[in-house]
Amino acid sequence: MPENGFRLLPLDDDSWRLEAYLRRGGYETARKVLTSMAPEAVIAEVRKASLRGRGGAGFPAGVKWGFVPKGVSGPKYLCVNSDEAEPGTFKDRLVLLRAPHQLLEGMLITAFAVGIRTAFIYVRGEYALVARRLEEAIVEARSAGYIGPRLFGTDLSLDVVVHLGAGAYICGEETALLESLEGRRGMPRVRPPFPAVVGLFRSPTVINNVETLATVPQILARGADSFLSRGLPKDGGTRLYCVSGAVRRPGTYELAVGTPLREIIEVHAGGTPEGKGLKAVIPGGLSAPVLLPGEIDIPMDVDSLARAGSMLGSAGIVVIPEGTPMLDVLHATARFYAHESCGKCTPCRIGTSWILKIVGRLRRDGGRPADFDLILRLADGIKGKTLCPLGEGAAMPIQALVTKFRGELERAVAR
Amino acid sequence: MNGKKPVGLTIDGLKVQAAEGTNVLRAAEQAGVTIPHFCFHAGLDVEGSCRMCLVEIEGLPKLELACSTIIREGMIVRTSTDRVREARKDVLEFLLAEHPLDCPICDKAGECRLQDYYDLHGLYASRMVEPRERRDKKVPIGRGLILDRERCVLCTRCVRFLRLVTGTGELGMFERSLRSEVGIYDGRPVDNNYSGNLVDICPVGAITAEDFRFKTRAWFLVRRPSICPHCSRGCAVIIESVEGYPLRRSEKRVYRVTARENPAVNGFWICDVGRDGRHDIDDGRHAAVSEKGAPVQGLSWEKALAGVAAAIRSVPGPERAGKIAVVLNARLTCEELALAKGLFVTGLGLDKVFFADRKPGPADSLLLTSDRVPNAKGVRDAGFTPRLPALGELAGAEVLLVFGSYILEHFGEEDVARALAGVPSKYLFAAHTGPLDRLVDAVFPVAHPAEKSGTYINTEGVRQSFARAVRPCPAVVAEGAILACLANSLGISLGDADVR
Repeated sequence: MPENGFRLLPLDDDSWRLEAYLRRGGYETARKVLTSMAPEAVIAEVRKASLRGRGGAGFPAGVKWGFVPKGVSGPKYLCVNSDEAEPGTFKDRLVLLRAPHQLLEGMLITAFAVGIRTAFIYVRGEYALVARRLEEAIVEARSAGYIGPRLFGTDLSLDVVVHLGAGAYICGEETALLESLEGRRGMPRVRPPFPAVVGLFRSPTVINNVETLATVPQILARGADSFLSRGLPKDGGTRLYCVSGAVRRPGTYELAVGTPLREIIEVHAGGTPEGKGLKAVIPGGLSAPVLLPGEIDIPMDVDSLARAGSMLGSAGIVVIPEGTPMLDVLHATARFYAHESCGKCTPCRIGTSWILKIVGRLRRDGGRPADFDLILRLADGIKGKTLCPLGEGAAMPIQALVTKFRGELERAVAR
Repeated sequence: MNGKKPVGLTIDGLKVQAAEGTNVLRAAEQAGVTIPHFCFHAGLDVEGSCRMCLVEIEGLPKLELACSTIIREGMIVRTSTDRVREARKDVLEFLLAEHPLDCPICDKAGECRLQDYYDLHGLYASRMVEPRERRDKKVPIGRGLILDRERCVLCTRCVRFLRLVTGTGELGMFERSLRSEVGIYDGRPVDNNYSGNLVDICPVGAITAEDFRFKTRAWFLVRRPSICPHCSRGCAVIIESVEGYPLRRSEKRVYRVTARENPAVNGFWICDVGRDGRHDIDDGRHAAVSEKGAPVQGLSWEKALAGVAAAIRSVPGPERAGKIAVVLNARLTCEELALAKGLFVTGLGLDKVFFADRKPGPADSLLLTSDRVPNAKGVRDAGFTPRLPALGELAGAEVLLVFGSYILEHFGEEDVARALAGVPSKYLFAAHTGPLDRLVDAVFPVAHPAEKSGTYINTEGVRQSFARAVRPCPAVVAEGAILACLANSLGISLGDADVR
């Protein structure tokens, strides 16, 4: 745990107010950056800090910013991805509720580093109340001169627009988010070109997750070295780990990147309730392949989980207790992806639904072991062939559930 | 390569070159390597959704889309490795899993990409035992188009065509995931002059035309290229017809006219006016020489033409200029116009050579021009200055030869009848029956442009030669043959102008 207590999530009730944020030294970092630093130096510092994206893909933020072409005339945009929709994830919501100004300050610094004057915050439709608070914070910041024209006496400016989504998981995918923001159906675009080159309204666009951007001020305030004193050399700082399911203290925990999964579950979240054993853990939101109890001695960082065949994803940890029928977990998983597939590309649209039809039949009428072989084969047919990462995100957890719980599943469908 | 830099790459071991900016799919196509695809269409934007065109590109870990990948110098593409074949099979299996497999009653059968690709890249045993989705199978979406949602593979070619080409946007995507469907917006059906292209570009049997539905099978049709004669654009078309005579009862000859690609003129599209022109080829045609409004069995056009020659010869040489009148039209080919010039102007020295054509109609902003004739430029090119005759100018003639019955588009039937009443010898050379038939001595059945070969010069001056696309009925003859035959019997040498 960082020495200064919760960095992103202050506990006092009015912590989200500008006044409270200023008391904590808010906007001083942005002032320093905008008035005394060169944009390239900001990008270099963030790159040095090994800040990995907190949205799911874990891509280094500083590297992403570097992809925006230099010296182009015409607008560039910053999009904040607050479409937090990965099941088991509820951290960005807390950042928006408790520290919206910290996000805004991170946006100011990012916009300065990339040369952006307009930013959009895409908030999922279900977060209407959260968006309202964010709007209030923006009003505060605007009237105090922290966003708008002539920031900190310079000729820099930043406009911020909040946009509410309409409730689709796919809009968390960055190109679908852009489509939705432009007023069309939220469906992914073909890449390349990547958003950094051709993004919102066909202009270069930086898209970052809420937590990623809210982490930026700290890096510039204390320097990359200080940031790297926690976390790992290639995955720096702290992260917000969401723990839900069968634990005594479910919630959001800010811990150093690389904190072992077992420690998060057993120490911070208090372990499973009395009398309940651990059956499985989803480590990074529903799309992350499930881990068995024997696999949870693993550092929670992007690379370690990838090596273990899973994914840190959005760091949403779902703890599944003993006694949970895995056929039900498989069904809930299959149903989610079949329901949320946008329908644009063939393998995802039909593959996810086909799998759901099979799992539904297995639950209803039972089936044969060969049905599970077909599910694995279909998931393989989706993987690597879809337009956007949702296909992978659907196929991987289903394959992991079937592979790791094959015995139980076969017994459950035998009639 | 249109001034663009050539880029060299390797596709399946072949060294190929294509213009800078070309995608892998087109570059392969140009090199003779076909990469299967549904959603990509060279006339539309890149969608990348069907996932059928995945190929291996050296140095990239995943399979990449051939449609969205732009070629680079030295790129190495493989389109038929095990991994690529497996991916195609997977995508096809997904598409066919929810497909109704109603090929026996599907109009697209025989020219359907699902069928072709299954044969080439599928050939697996179906593993789909779950119930398929039931969807609407005959949704009228406007202009005689029927949408079958069970057959649709959601390639969105139709949606993109209406958004990008016509700009009318009548079709959209509705719902999501497996419930995704194409549809029109409430009360706004497809209604534009290019609607027929939706049938052409639909890669499966999802959009069919009432005009064609359940009328024949695609494999019964012979496809031959031609030029559309319905305006001065000169769009490239394909005439799809049944070969040979006699036709079976209730059998049509030409079942449809479809678009043919010609980047210099019409790109990939044709308009509905041209497409509906299939009726013009078959309906209301003369099938024999008729006299006084009634077909004469056994009278060949050659025999009947002897009468025309005799009538012309009966006018003494010095009087011919004023007493023989001819009405031509701009549906005649350049070759025919040259013969007409040689025969009537140079040979017979006629003053009264007129033109009567279809009246201009409204142009649209895409292809259809207001000039509703195919060879207006050709008429001027042949040295004519086309002028519509006054009825009085025709009434004074002793011999009148009328090519096409378009004169009735400009004058009332009764007025024409009065004017022609005093003309001793009058002949009509027309493809279609009409009120003019009974006002003349004889009608010669002539060929429709689809039934002849020749050259048209379009509105932009593009000279396009075409060959016969449909075999005409035995008694039907092209105007060119009539003109040449007439010149022969009159002893007029057409010299170089006789281009037969």
